Amino acid sequence: MIYLELFMEFFHIGLFSFGGGYATLPFLFHIAETKDWYTTKQLTDMIAVSSITPGPVGVNVATFAGYTTSGILGSIIATTSVVLPSIIIVIIISKLLEQFKHNEYVKSIIYTLKPAGCGLLAAVGVNMFLNDMSLYGIILFILLFILSCFKKLDPLVYLGVSAICGLVLCYLLPVV
Amino acid sequence: MEINLYNIYTTFFKVGTLLLGGGYVILPILQSELVEKRNWIDNDDLCEYTALSQSIPGLIAANLSIFVGYKLKRTAGALAAISGMITPAFLCIVILAKILEEVIKLKFIQGIFWGVGIGVLILIYLAIKEIWHKSVIDKYTFFVFFIVFLLSVLLKISPAILVISAIILGILRRFYLVRRSKGGVE
Repeated sequence: MIYLELFMEFFHIGLFSFGGGYATLPFLFHIAETKDWYTTKQLTDMIAVSSITPGPVGVNVATFAGYTTSGILGSIIATTSVVLPSIIIVIIISKLLEQFKHNEYVKSIIYTLKPAGCGLLAAVGVNMFLNDMSLYGIILFILLFILSCFKKLDPLVYLGVSAICGLVLCYLLPVV
Repeated sequence: MEINLYNIYTTFFKVGTLLLGGGYVILPILQSELVEKRNWIDNDDLCEYTALSQSIPGLIAANLSIFVGYKLKRTAGALAAISGMITPAFLCIVILAKILEEVIKLKFIQGIFWGVGIGVLILIYLAIKEIWHKSVIDKYTFFVFFIVFLLSVLLKISPAILVISAIILGILRRFYLVRRSKGGVE
């Protein structure tokens, strides 16, 4: 029963990938090794493709795995399964927060979680920066940084400008 | 713009379409679309949801969308938001699935990958800057930020452990404040 299997695997990922970002990757590679839904090579391609397709990589891979194994219905099941745990958990927490938002302990926990969340985000940023930095990358980053100091721009502007720079550079400089 | 299920769906459809380069990019997009353009939520809400989204299982972009959707129109809003967020992702992959291997080899696609990767870094930096102003406000919060950042970057400690420690620290802080205020009264 491929549909049930897809549901179980992707529900599992949605439930256990903790901390966001690339936390889903180990699970996705595990699937590549144990099931014949996609190969490790396809997954690596998928991760690269998902940086220029809409949506988080976990959702993209779920749709892809569902589609290659069992068509549109499979892709709908896999995509829904990967976000279903989030839907259940977040709605429960939202309801609890409404009820307990004036509780001093809850306030103190959120007061502590906010800077902790900011620290985790900063760590993700630093790791990404160290992972894919090259000389041209640093130059482009600094240019975008200077741009951001002058004027508040729409996120789309940064993505557009950097995509065009990448497009131009890949023809001018073979190293990129 | 009026807050109804249709508008929530279409807004998150737009958010999902702009969501290039990984889940964390949702943060600057929500700041731009929901805080600045539509005034549906404020940065304080967003900061709280970001912290909570990282503290629970699931994809961060999905968790954030559901928190915001719930805030706007309860459970129905949450469902509208998450559906809107994943629809563009779903359609795009279904269309691309068959030609994936050819697409990835194209030179100009590789160039775009590289460029978008850098653009994403600047977006994450800008998102951290906004969140920083709302979360790091005194010595205690700076201490929490700094310790979590260091442990995560240098020792690669799992976010789950850091989050659970932060929750325990939050409870202990409250205990300490209660005890101190009692001590002051007596």
